[in-house]
Amino acid sequence: MSTEHTLMRTRREFLYRSGLGLGSVALSALLGKAAPLSPRKPHHPAKARSCIFLLMEGGPSHIDTFDPKPKLDDLHMTEFAKQRTKFAAAMNTGKRHYVKSPFEFRRAGELGIEINARFPHFAGVVDDICFYRGLQAESVNHPTALFHLNTGNRFGGDPGVGSWVSYGLGTENENLPAFVVLPDVAYPQGGAANWSNGFLPAHYQGTPLRANGAPVLDMEPPASVTREQQRKNLDLLASLNAIHRQRHPDHDELEARIESYELAFRMQAEMPGVVDLASEPDSTLELYGVGDPNPEVDAIAKRCLLARRMVESGVRFVQVIVGGWDSHDYIESAHGTRITAIDKPMAGLMKDLKRTGLLDETLVVWAGEFGRTPDNGLRGGDKAWGRDHNAKAMPLWLAGGGAPRGRIVGATDEVGDAAVEVVHPIKDFHVTLLHLLGLDDAKLTYFAQGRNKQLSQTGGELIRPLVA
Amino acid sequence: MSAWRIKLALTIWCSASALGATESAGTLFRDTVQPIFKQHCLGCHGESEPFGKLDLRSREGLLEGGSRGPAIIPGNAGVSLLYRALEHSGELKMPPTGRLPEEAVAAVGEWIDGGAPFPAASDGADYDWGAFDEEDLWAVRPVRKIEDPGGIDAFLGSRLAEAELIPAPRADRRTLIRRATIDLTGLPPTPEEVEAFVADPDDDRAAFGRVVDRLLASPRYGERWGRHWLDVTRYADTAGFSNDYERPNAWRYRDYVIRSFNSDKPYDRFVLEQIAGDELFPGDPEAILATGFLRMGPWEHTGMSVAAVTRQQWLDDVTHSTATAFLGLTLACAKCHDHKFDPVPTRDYYRVQAAFATTAFAKRPLPFLPEEDASGFAAGKKRIERLVAQLERKREGYAEISRRHLMEKFGVSRIEDVPAVSRKQDAGLTDEQMWARRIVNKHLSHHAESIKRYDPLAFSVTSGLVEEWNDIGPGGAGSYMKKPDYESVEMHVLVGGSIESPGERVAPGVLSAIERYGGLPAPRLPETTSGRRSALAKWIADSRNPLTARVMVNRIWQYHFGRGLAENANNFGRMGAKPTHPALLDWLAVRFVEEGWSVKSLHRIIMASDAYQRTGDIPDGAAERDPGNSLLSYFTPRRVEAEVLRDSLLAVAGELSLSMGGPGTYPQISRDAAEQPRFTQGGLRPPYYEEGRRRDRNRRSVYSFQQRSLIDPMIEVLNGASADLSCERRDSTTVPTQAFALLNGELSHDLALAFANRLQTETDRVVDRGFELAYGRSPSGEERALAERHLKEMTAYHHRRPPAPRREREPLVRALPSQLSGETFHFTEDLPPWDYEENLHASQVPPETRALADLALVLFNSNEFAYVY
Repeated sequence: MSTEHTLMRTRREFLYRSGLGLGSVALSALLGKAAPLSPRKPHHPAKARSCIFLLMEGGPSHIDTFDPKPKLDDLHMTEFAKQRTKFAAAMNTGKRHYVKSPFEFRRAGELGIEINARFPHFAGVVDDICFYRGLQAESVNHPTALFHLNTGNRFGGDPGVGSWVSYGLGTENENLPAFVVLPDVAYPQGGAANWSNGFLPAHYQGTPLRANGAPVLDMEPPASVTREQQRKNLDLLASLNAIHRQRHPDHDELEARIESYELAFRMQAEMPGVVDLASEPDSTLELYGVGDPNPEVDAIAKRCLLARRMVESGVRFVQVIVGGWDSHDYIESAHGTRITAIDKPMAGLMKDLKRTGLLDETLVVWAGEFGRTPDNGLRGGDKAWGRDHNAKAMPLWLAGGGAPRGRIVGATDEVGDAAVEVVHPIKDFHVTLLHLLGLDDAKLTYFAQGRNKQLSQTGGELIRPLVA
Repeated sequence: MSAWRIKLALTIWCSASALGATESAGTLFRDTVQPIFKQHCLGCHGESEPFGKLDLRSREGLLEGGSRGPAIIPGNAGVSLLYRALEHSGELKMPPTGRLPEEAVAAVGEWIDGGAPFPAASDGADYDWGAFDEEDLWAVRPVRKIEDPGGIDAFLGSRLAEAELIPAPRADRRTLIRRATIDLTGLPPTPEEVEAFVADPDDDRAAFGRVVDRLLASPRYGERWGRHWLDVTRYADTAGFSNDYERPNAWRYRDYVIRSFNSDKPYDRFVLEQIAGDELFPGDPEAILATGFLRMGPWEHTGMSVAAVTRQQWLDDVTHSTATAFLGLTLACAKCHDHKFDPVPTRDYYRVQAAFATTAFAKRPLPFLPEEDASGFAAGKKRIERLVAQLERKREGYAEISRRHLMEKFGVSRIEDVPAVSRKQDAGLTDEQMWARRIVNKHLSHHAESIKRYDPLAFSVTSGLVEEWNDIGPGGAGSYMKKPDYESVEMHVLVGGSIESPGERVAPGVLSAIERYGGLPAPRLPETTSGRRSALAKWIADSRNPLTARVMVNRIWQYHFGRGLAENANNFGRMGAKPTHPALLDWLAVRFVEEGWSVKSLHRIIMASDAYQRTGDIPDGAAERDPGNSLLSYFTPRRVEAEVLRDSLLAVAGELSLSMGGPGTYPQISRDAAEQPRFTQGGLRPPYYEEGRRRDRNRRSVYSFQQRSLIDPMIEVLNGASADLSCERRDSTTVPTQAFALLNGELSHDLALAFANRLQTETDRVVDRGFELAYGRSPSGEERALAERHLKEMTAYHHRRPPAPRREREPLVRALPSQLSGETFHFTEDLPPWDYEENLHASQVPPETRALADLALVLFNSNEFAYVY
């Protein structure tokens, strides 16, 4: 065995065995050049260093969550008067009627912000929340609207918000993915394109942590393979690669691939610790609702807690996806159970981030792909009140690093049909989100398809009132 | 205003290069004012009956104004009604939803003060053709006929000499045959092929030339190079978005592409067929199949979409993809404003688009060709029918519950006696059953599409609607255009790219820059329903078109060398890299056309060069003087593409099935990914069911069913091509999740075991044979010793550790939140109603074979297996 080979082997074993303690020995250090995920300075100073994006898939109703419309009580079941444009979707045509919210609203917090009374836990944190009522989407079609909110491009194919942020800021922990997605058991409409790296290099792709089974696809070998067996195979792999490397000493890419196996196994070692909630004290589990008799609460609570643990471990961007908001019918039961399912977990997340001090440097965003209409085609009859899709008004809140506390920004009209104050398109929200993370959308560009592409697609405007 | 200008420069559309430029009022209009109009004004002041009779779509409209008089007085914002309304300084306040941001109001003011130019798109006379630097126009200038200095190496040689670089020597035969075989067929050479070439007594060049000829004649060639073209055209078997329904006949386009490469179809003909095969060669079935190209983009029309918007989405897609694939130009920028980097006025964009304005989607009856092996279709159809029967039984179960409930409720003994109005499908069903019924229906709607893949139909187009062929897919809310619409269609420039603000009417046409700079006269495109695409296609396929041959030659060069002579194969515009060897590119383009647009001839010319046959060793000085190896002083080694890696695993393991063509097959993918529930509109999509027979699931990756919403994770993680964006070149980013896929994935383990089993069946010298199959060479003494020691250790290990039993396949139980109640419901996805031929499992073989599988797994993961030199 050659000397070089022995040296390499020793180093790799050293690395392998040192495991977690060597998290800081990054690929970049080994290769002596900047690795794509090494931490980078933001464009401007910002409080938020990471982001937790709670994505409510299906289009939650602003009217039934955080934007009460008492006027609808008067109009209930009267014919909807507004004229639709000639570019209305088939869904929003025909005879339609106003539908009141079946929910009671209650003032919460010191500021007395009115929210649906079915959010008893969240009511305790509203003073830390900035509600935004001026955002507008451009599509009432789930996948296109999801792609728009998640990637800036309604037709998909572009990098996710988390990919852009990872590209801009790198990650604090190279043993974990920079951009983690915590989906429901089922993937949302449009699937993995919602967290794709698009034209950005593969390092920036969102890694979905699966709700069941091994958290990362193929992170564990098949059940019959033991750790010992894998170790021995890895050792042989390192030896053969080292011999091969000697024959091609000029080719750095080979070294990168050798190291990627190291990195994979550091990730394999570290990930189970991060996703294992057993080390959390009971009081924390209870705060989120982990172990709640309602399995929906338990499932969302686990993901919210996981999101905090991820951020704490240096993950840059965590997206938690909670589906089931597409309540065309029976909004009381359909939205009611969703609200109950998310109330305690999201309130727990806010409280936990706050008491651990992480809230100052973590931006929390809550949004769906669009809002819902004040009216309905009554396809389920007048007992089955529901709401269709509405791109002109939608619920959104943000909190934490750099966001205002206890503020309502913007407004919708008196029935919640459209935003009328501080009205902005999605691209402006993207500019604002990046801004809060210290990134300038106009500078965060990547050359693809013949031009420097950016999250906002063609530039956008900062929504000032959303910045503290 | 200056603060505004700085902000503007930072945020405007598309560009770094506009930074610091002095904006004229015209640019200000294009970049800022027009988008403001589009976003905030044109909804009311752009329709056919604009509010207050004020039409903001043209300068004339503004000057004429509405019921309150002229909207602008050019040169004086202060007295202009438009500005005052935006400022909210008078009685009229616009927009009614609230004052625009200060910067926006200021921009409009500045624009009016600057004379309110309206340099859109609409008026070609305003277009500033002089704004382009000569060096940026290289691609639209005519191809130069250059005297042959002695082939490729002479072109390269002069530049190498200038850089004082002595190129790397000729690679040895083993290296060369592996390089050429993977390059041309996407598979590693067999040990026998390697040995035959090594032993060939003929001189190196002649012997290698014969290898190239043999490889070009192999059907594997078309599968490999067809895949490259499918990257460019974004081939997929499904439509994308929410439902992601199958495009049941799209596979015939994929096979058409493979056949075209195998038969060395002249490239100009290939171009003509894909753009206008139906018009130009209506009697040639291949030309009909070719037009599938025009429909490759993702597309969905549902009750939530707006028909006209969906149609426009396709028009934009086809305009852009045609230009990208054949002309190497990115036209998308010109959709909203005159292209900033390339000489493409917006008017040209819509003129090209007008060539497609009369095109309708068509599923044309087209009998299967002799080349299309339909022998397995009956069996394939049967399998879907069995799935359907399985689901229908389930559906019938729910219907029965409903019937019983209703009969009981109405106290009758026959369902016919229940009033028809009360016979609701969901009657008497629990929330869980209602959901299950919906999911069953959704699955059935998917299978109803899928089964059409065996119908003799072409995924094609027509000029003008042929009603019985109309094909806008399932889920569409009826046809969005009637027959007369296609015949009377008028194309307008869409101001700001918005369908809500049509501007000047345009006739079908081509890119003006080519006539202006390139000398190819712009043809008049007919305005009739038929013939528009033919004329466009002929203009593109014209040997005098400066882009077409150059773009294809460059693509081929790129696939051989890892990078093109011009580095951005899809972008020959100013933002793409300039060619490193422009004379060579032109010389090759001319040769290409002279050789009858023969792609295979081009391969021969390129592969016969010294440049192609060099070693991968970096010569002295090259790292410093030519770090990117653009001078090609050595052969740049590269990682093989995802499909090559998967196909090579299968081939080496002896499991690769070489049957060609037909509907997409379902390979073995990560079971976790296959079992992942995925929402679709109003339900769940059917689970991913692998092919039951090994020979079906072990086919070449190009035949894998390409589902936009579920890409094989192993292909995806190894930088597979996106099915949504044209892929000009595969990435080869190295990320740790690739190691997970290859080292931990079930497929790798299964194939390692198959490889081990193969070796033991075929030979006693398992280590040597293993290296020969995987690497095309024998192991060195050191490698052999390492491998044998490993076998010994692992055999002992496996004697100690009996393997865990096989993980059985079980029905999948889904637990998901209901949209109706928000509560969790359960739904069971049955196993498919056909036998599953299991792969060999560790529990079936002795410890020695399991140990050999460990070695095989290591070889599969090694750098030598993954890289080509």
